[in-house]
Amino acid sequence: MIELPYLGHGIGLRTSHYQTVVTDKPPVDWFEVISENFMVAGGNPRRVLRAVREHYPVVLHGVSLSLGSTDPLDKAYLDELAALAAEVEPAWLSDHLCWGSYRGHHSHDLLPLPYTEEALAHVADRVLRVQDRLKRQILVENVSSYVSFQHSTMSEWEFLSALTERADCGLLLDVNNIFVSAHNHRFDAHAFLNGVPKDRVVQTHLAGHMEEGPLLLDTHDHPVCDGVWELYRAAVERFGAISTLVEWDDHIPPFERVLEESDRARAVENEVLVATYEQARVAR
Amino acid sequence: MSRLALRAKPLSLRELQRRFFSLITAPEGVDKGLGALDMTPADLEKIVRSDERRSAVERLDIYANMYFFRILDVLREMFPKLTALVGDTPFHNLVTDYLLAFPSSHPSLRNVGEKLPAFLDASVDPKRPWLADLARLEWARHDVFDGGDATALTLDALRALPPAEFAGLPLELIPSHARIATRYSVDGLWQSLSDGEEPIVPRASDGAMLIWRRHGEVLHRVLDEREAAALAEVAEGTSFGILCEWVAGRVPEAEAPQVAFGLLAQWATDGVLVARD
Repeated sequence: MIELPYLGHGIGLRTSHYQTVVTDKPPVDWFEVISENFMVAGGNPRRVLRAVREHYPVVLHGVSLSLGSTDPLDKAYLDELAALAAEVEPAWLSDHLCWGSYRGHHSHDLLPLPYTEEALAHVADRVLRVQDRLKRQILVENVSSYVSFQHSTMSEWEFLSALTERADCGLLLDVNNIFVSAHNHRFDAHAFLNGVPKDRVVQTHLAGHMEEGPLLLDTHDHPVCDGVWELYRAAVERFGAISTLVEWDDHIPPFERVLEESDRARAVENEVLVATYEQARVAR
Repeated sequence: MSRLALRAKPLSLRELQRRFFSLITAPEGVDKGLGALDMTPADLEKIVRSDERRSAVERLDIYANMYFFRILDVLREMFPKLTALVGDTPFHNLVTDYLLAFPSSHPSLRNVGEKLPAFLDASVDPKRPWLADLARLEWARHDVFDGGDATALTLDALRALPPAEFAGLPLELIPSHARIATRYSVDGLWQSLSDGEEPIVPRASDGAMLIWRRHGEVLHRVLDEREAAALAEVAEGTSFGILCEWVAGRVPEAEAPQVAFGLLAQWATDGVLVARD
């Protein structure tokens, strides 16, 4: 079971928008911040985070937990993350189903795992230990990938479903990542959406990507494409209203433009909910 | 023997990660990196799925490129003056060599440039031996930007202090400061690059610099030998009374009060001392 609040429609807080957010307090339901950007001793990042937290719910989203790495869990990192969480009191924390380090050296990337029983047991054990340390359930996010492994014995969504069961954690479904990986590995994105347990999905991510020859790259530097909007609609149809967040990390436009994407997500969600309501009325 | 038994045993997760990491961090790309693992592209195809769109090597190359260029971009932001001085392509090559010598060892990209000054010390460019000091200054400026917060002692607070309390006034440096030793006078070089002017060639001269954050802005200035030594004393933990003793041992008696109060006033003006409750 995972019971976390519905936060509505949020935006990933980025440096170029600090001033706008702190000064104008725009109409956004919540903000997600990259945990590592604020795991610093002080200065402007922490000052901004305190100011944002005074007015909005905040979620901590990490990129360095390296849940799938065969290196030992980084105790110092976990301690810092726990300290940040104690100060920020986020609605929840999340990180990725991936690995990033080997023998203490960091790639600073979200590297894909083979979907095997060995990897599942390994990741589930680490998620449990992370949750013990943080004293709360976390959300695990699916990544975009460009490589898959010959010896995988299950699909990504089967792996994630089993992980949520074994580690009793939640899911952060990145709809753009599903779209990108489905294209790159030729699987059915809707099979992914339909293959994960409804009661584990707490949050979604929406973002843009780019074409790199015949493959798609998860670059977060474009508007959300039509295909991802369609997939998001399907996600809301299956999961209902889910806390939704728009990410834009490169070639970042003015805040108002990102807000437009968030408002579009709100409109899609509303359309689906209205249609569901109308269907329910007729059925009654 | 069954066909199943002839299939190669899948790699353990640890071994898979060892090979993957080695390939995506290979300085000349995945294809050449395979040689170091005694593997061929065909061997990689047995581990990584491919299709007519992209081979296994090409798919791993996507990660290899992202690994390098993500770190390169971050280092360019951390060391803008160094990048401007050496130029894009030499900086690219410098980062390639740096990552071979010092792979990133911290989970946060914020720390990825920490050892670049030491790397430049060890691989000194005889035509520009001051590059390491310039990098040291840029790293320190980056590092104090998000150093710990503290309320700084002000000159007004000092003026309000009763004379009898000066002796016991504890002196503590704010957390968001750094002191660096330099062998070249890179302050002028940094300033000329900052102003977009012709770079000033630094002189060989042992010295020290103070870098600190005040009201969110990162500042730096050159320290003379006496002030650098005095700050080293303060960093160990001291009071104004002990500082006065330290000064008295180093300057003629008649000058000592002026020097001691001069240092205190300078540091309060800079905002590098922690305010007392």
